[in-house]
Amino acid sequence: MKIHEFMIRKIEFIDADKSVYDAVEQMVDRRIRSVVVRFPGKLPDYGVLTSRDIVFRVFAKGIDPKKIKVSEIASKPIACVDKDLDFEDAATIMERSNIARLFICEQGKVIGLISLLDVMAAELVMRARGNHVS
Amino acid sequence: MWKILSGLFLGWSLGANDSANVFGTGVTTGIIRYRTAIWLTAAFVMLGALLEGAKCMKIVGELSLLLPMDAFFCALAAAITMSVLTFLGIPASTSQAIIGAVIGAGIISESADFSKLYKVVSCWVFTPICGLAAGYVLHRVLGYILDRTVKSLTRRNIFYSVGILGAGCYGAYTLGSNNVANVTGVYVGSGMLTPDQAALIGAVSIAVGVLTYSKKVMMTIGKGIVPLYPFSALVVVLAGALTLHFFTQIGVPVSSSQAVVGAVVGVGFVGGVQTVSFRMLKKITVGWIMTPVSGGVLAYVFIKLFS
Amino acid sequence: MFLEKILSHGKKERYVIEDIRRHIELLCTACDVFRMSLEKQNRDLMWEVIDLEREADSVRRQVISHIYEGAFLPYLRPDLCKFVEIVDEVFDLLKETAFYGVDNEVPELLRDESIRVALLNFRMCDMLMSSFEAMLRGEDLREKTLAVRIYEKKIDDIKHDLTKEAEKVRIDNFWAGKTLSDFITNLTMISDIIEDASDHLQIINVSTR
Repeated sequence: MKIHEFMIRKIEFIDADKSVYDAVEQMVDRRIRSVVVRFPGKLPDYGVLTSRDIVFRVFAKGIDPKKIKVSEIASKPIACVDKDLDFEDAATIMERSNIARLFICEQGKVIGLISLLDVMAAELVMRARGNHVS
Repeated sequence: MWKILSGLFLGWSLGANDSANVFGTGVTTGIIRYRTAIWLTAAFVMLGALLEGAKCMKIVGELSLLLPMDAFFCALAAAITMSVLTFLGIPASTSQAIIGAVIGAGIISESADFSKLYKVVSCWVFTPICGLAAGYVLHRVLGYILDRTVKSLTRRNIFYSVGILGAGCYGAYTLGSNNVANVTGVYVGSGMLTPDQAALIGAVSIAVGVLTYSKKVMMTIGKGIVPLYPFSALVVVLAGALTLHFFTQIGVPVSSSQAVVGAVVGVGFVGGVQTVSFRMLKKITVGWIMTPVSGGVLAYVFIKLFS
Repeated sequence: MFLEKILSHGKKERYVIEDIRRHIELLCTACDVFRMSLEKQNRDLMWEVIDLEREADSVRRQVISHIYEGAFLPYLRPDLCKFVEIVDEVFDLLKETAFYGVDNEVPELLRDESIRVALLNFRMCDMLMSSFEAMLRGEDLREKTLAVRIYEKKIDDIKHDLTKEAEKVRIDNFWAGKTLSDFITNLTMISDIIEDASDHLQIINVSTR
């Protein structure tokens, strides 16, 4: 099963110069666990900020989120894959890089993402499809 | 010979009341048509009575020394008890009514054999328990086997059709073999009829009751909880029939209704459902006490007054 | 009555099963054609969807009459009929959306998402077929009903996006807006009804054990 079947297309972006506080506000509001960071420049330049980053590297360290910029803790570059990748391969890549999400890119632009949850859902659907070939 | 009339009346009411235990679920869930059900019931009741009906007749006569007139009054007392209690909505067992009546007669003639009564009463107590055990075990075992062998939908369908039909016939057979003694056993005990004659006459009266008056009881999903799924229905009838057949071999007539109620509870236990309500237990206990007692009292009164 | 049932070796039942199978196959085809029509922007294919709905309607009537001619035990008959009625509801929704597609062009803004929903609808129908076959064999349906639910949740997510995007579409008059709104509603409701059908199969499955 190809990952584009279950990928999330609504990607949330945030500019690199915003504060972590703005990021938290956006993420809590939209109930999402990661946000794509847009760095300035002519060519598309992305990073990713996850809830783990925010909690472990800002809150747990007692740093004021209003005083720290997104660009300071975002991870670069983001893990990009093709939309026709199989879910099994996606799972392998995520395991090897120890990441919880993969971004799907087309011509350098982010068009979607799949999370661990999507991989699990896909696995269940593939199992159920198992003994009936469409 | 007119004395057997009360017995015929008793047999007729037994046929009308108890045939629902056999094909009641089959008819109300539409698996078998009412007309087919009653003819099958009548046929197999007669078969059961003729083949094995004599086994339970001995004990009816052994409980007391009965004169032909006593036999008449016992059957009459039992029949009246049944009619009144059924009218009042209290579950009544023909076996208990007639045995109570016989003991009542025995008390007058001071020939009541209480040691044999002890055997009979313990069988009554064990009837629903056996039904429960049979229902539970059968549901488990048969369910296990079925899940592994008959899996496809159409095959299951055929299995249930055939199964409920077969179980019903078997149930009718065991009803005849076990309960015909209730109807005409007193006449064997008093020497009026041979066991075979009694079996035939009793069987015919029961069959007539089935054919003429069983509709109302069969159509009411009334005698407590009736399982509506074919597998449970099949197990309940089969468990009840097996219980009845078991007690036929022991030689004691028991209640088919109580065997079925026990089976329903047993089947309910499989699903972890408690199907017995305290209120129902109370009703059943009242029936258990009142039936033999009123049978006995009535018989006592009749014989005392008219003999 | 019984001898005939045993001797016919479930012939009536086989007819009913064949009919229901054909009914679900038609649904899968209709969903696939609908998706293709959106992808290729071919309105003729929309007419084909409408034709398929008509054919399915006659199959449905056949199923019901075969069932009540005496197939299966009485306790099962209402459930089987209900299943066919639910699938028929899906067809009705599909027909409504196809009618929109015949007269209108789906707005560019909503095309991709609509195609995705159509594809997922097709996948759900496929899974429904798979569940039906599994039920006939007496298998456990848990995995398949779960897969159907997963698809339905995905479509629910897209529905949310669709409705938000739809707000950006320029509408010239009330009726244009209403028909577009109905289109989106119907398109996304298809998956809900397919889920109902899948759940109903589970009900049938349980009642025979």
